[in-house]
Amino acid sequence: MLSRVADNLYWMSRYLERAEHTSRLLAVKLETLLEQTPREAELSWRRVAAGLSGDEHVPSAAADAFEITRALAFDPENSSSLIASLQSARDNARQVREQISTEMWNQLNRLYLRLAPMDLATVWNDQPGHIFRDAVDELLMLEGITYSTMRHGEGWYFLELGRYIERAQLLSRLLDLHFGRASRSGTAPSYLDWVVLLRFCTAFEAYCKVYTANIRRDRIAEFLLFDPEFPHSVRFAVERLTDALTRVASGAPAQRRAACERLAGRLKASVDFGQIEELMGGTIDLFLTNIMSQCEQIHEAVQAAYISYDAETVL
Amino acid sequence: MFASDGTVRRHYAELSERVSELSSDELRRRQQACEQSFLHQGITFTVYGDNSSTERIIPTDLLPRIITAAEWARLEAGLKQRIQALNLFLHDIYADGRVLRDGLVPRALIYGSKHYRREMRGIPVPHGAYVNVCGTDLVRREDGTFVVLEDNLRVPSGVSYMLANRDVVRRAFPALFRTAGVRPIEHYPQDLLATLRSLAPFQDDVSIAVLTPGVFNSAYFEHAFLARQMGVELVEGRDIVVNDNCVYARTTSGLKRLDVIYRRIDDDFIDPLAFRADSTLGVPGVFNAYRAGNVVIANAPGTGIADDKAVYAYVPRLIRYYLSEEPILASVETFLCREPKSLSHVLANLDSLVVKAVGESGGYGMLVGPHASTAEREAFAEKIKADPDNYIAQPTIQLSTAPCFIEGAIEPRHVDLRPFILHGEQTTIAPGALTRVALKRGSLVVNSSQGGGSKDTWVLSA
Repeated sequence: MLSRVADNLYWMSRYLERAEHTSRLLAVKLETLLEQTPREAELSWRRVAAGLSGDEHVPSAAADAFEITRALAFDPENSSSLIASLQSARDNARQVREQISTEMWNQLNRLYLRLAPMDLATVWNDQPGHIFRDAVDELLMLEGITYSTMRHGEGWYFLELGRYIERAQLLSRLLDLHFGRASRSGTAPSYLDWVVLLRFCTAFEAYCKVYTANIRRDRIAEFLLFDPEFPHSVRFAVERLTDALTRVASGAPAQRRAACERLAGRLKASVDFGQIEELMGGTIDLFLTNIMSQCEQIHEAVQAAYISYDAETVL
Repeated sequence: MFASDGTVRRHYAELSERVSELSSDELRRRQQACEQSFLHQGITFTVYGDNSSTERIIPTDLLPRIITAAEWARLEAGLKQRIQALNLFLHDIYADGRVLRDGLVPRALIYGSKHYRREMRGIPVPHGAYVNVCGTDLVRREDGTFVVLEDNLRVPSGVSYMLANRDVVRRAFPALFRTAGVRPIEHYPQDLLATLRSLAPFQDDVSIAVLTPGVFNSAYFEHAFLARQMGVELVEGRDIVVNDNCVYARTTSGLKRLDVIYRRIDDDFIDPLAFRADSTLGVPGVFNAYRAGNVVIANAPGTGIADDKAVYAYVPRLIRYYLSEEPILASVETFLCREPKSLSHVLANLDSLVVKAVGESGGYGMLVGPHASTAEREAFAEKIKADPDNYIAQPTIQLSTAPCFIEGAIEPRHVDLRPFILHGEQTTIAPGALTRVALKRGSLVVNSSQGGGSKDTWVLSA
């Protein structure tokens, strides 16, 4: 497959994962708004904003829920907003219009055209969480459409690769905000915060099935990091991205493939053999930072091996 | 749709009946469904504003235009004859120049044209097929016959609209479509693929790609559409590497050889080493690879010389010269301003003529005499006198009209007709066309860049 096409598919998928993550966080946040005290709500908003934009300080001028939501969802200037992610996903999809199925394009395009002109102010007083819940549903539908209308060939595995690298990074960042240094400096997360975290990862029901409704900090960390079967755990994401890597660029020289697979293997080993007891002793932030930087290295290795390699070297 | 006495023409009877049964609201609903479908499919072009860009659809009219089997048979024969003569002409001027030696076409007209490509001299072209994809513009005259207005031999576009219009209009009038006996056009992409394949020097495992300027091009949708429908790669210049006169696409697994490139980039931009050096869209070195016979470029570079508006005037003579046949399709009477006698005639009759710059297309650089002000005509006369070789003039042609659904009512609008001709080892024409519509009342300009729309075109099987 063309290198540019692989790159577009990879980025389209990363942006869609980011859009889904943003929508879900906002949906959950807005749905649980009423259950929190103003102080709890503010701390919780900070975590959401930090988890989504990398900026831990929500500007004071934007300290109300409406402004934060607008900035995170509909600000085109904010490159990590929902609408910016969707637009980037769509721009990438348009460039590979002939590679993806018509059903996929229609679904993505319809969602974008519906959200782009939306004015948050007009829906704010009437269950604003709905629009984000709908967006999550539409994005999940797109995932299903992709699964069943596109050939599961190399292009599909580039989509998988993008999705799960992005997911591993987003999850790690979210976990870092709840378990890492940031969580110890301020007020410790409350019971409700833990439930909200699980719901951010669409994990509440799955967690309860494994551990019962006994909400414990270390078990949540273990579940979201190491559960091998839950799609929104770090380990699951790493497993899938490692698998995707073995299935792309089958004709590339062994040497270039090896560079990517070695990095992926190392990351996989660290989540396969990680021990939650060790991490809860105080090394969890280091562990999470490490996962994020390993994802970054894999990203760079893939670019170098398959996308932007020097043509002279292969002639 | 109507005969001169006001009665409905026979092949339009069913449509007329069906439409009159539907309320204006119902028609409007179907029209909106068509528009939504285009928007969702991304069949749009982008209008760039000051700070933002908006995506617009090219409006599609709900009501199909109908062409009878007899009309089509004549069109098809005429178009085949025309493309055959034009390819022989191209072969001639890029090979022996017999037509120039015989004095049929003045040398200056060819060698002075900016579309003549000296670089193409003596390069063999598979099957002598320079023009592989052609979109000829025709209009219908008062007497009902079709006349050729323009041959588009470089990178004609619009075929995706022909197919997309069919798709939505068939859904808007399913019952009528079934009973009318409309000939199918859906096989166009397969025909295009077969044409491109026939150009390759070998037939096993031919590697074909569509070369696009990229996502910002107004016809990008069409490029992606055709690549997808043919199941071939859509490439941009930056995806391609030329090494040792062979052309490769950069893939995740390394470099992959390309054999045939269906390019949707103008000659000027296709290779900065051969043509315009400032082109960033093209592929450096691709022309040398072409010359070496290692890749086929379709359409061949240099075909623009044959759709030059001045050469147009010679096409009937070319048909007689190469084929010893009478032209089946008429051309519009054309005055070449380069001939002194014609020039004085043109200047004296500017108020009744349409004057066009020879090298332009898309409705630019032209004067529509009857619609222009005296000042505009005077200014244009100066331009003609300054560079008479660059202008031709034609009588104002009364475009025929077709009924269109405009803001809740059915009104006549001017239309033209662009069928698409494929020419490789064989010549094939999908029985259909893009009918372009001048949506403004009374307007004669059908170009989509200037507010035109389009309609589905039904060619009947009997």
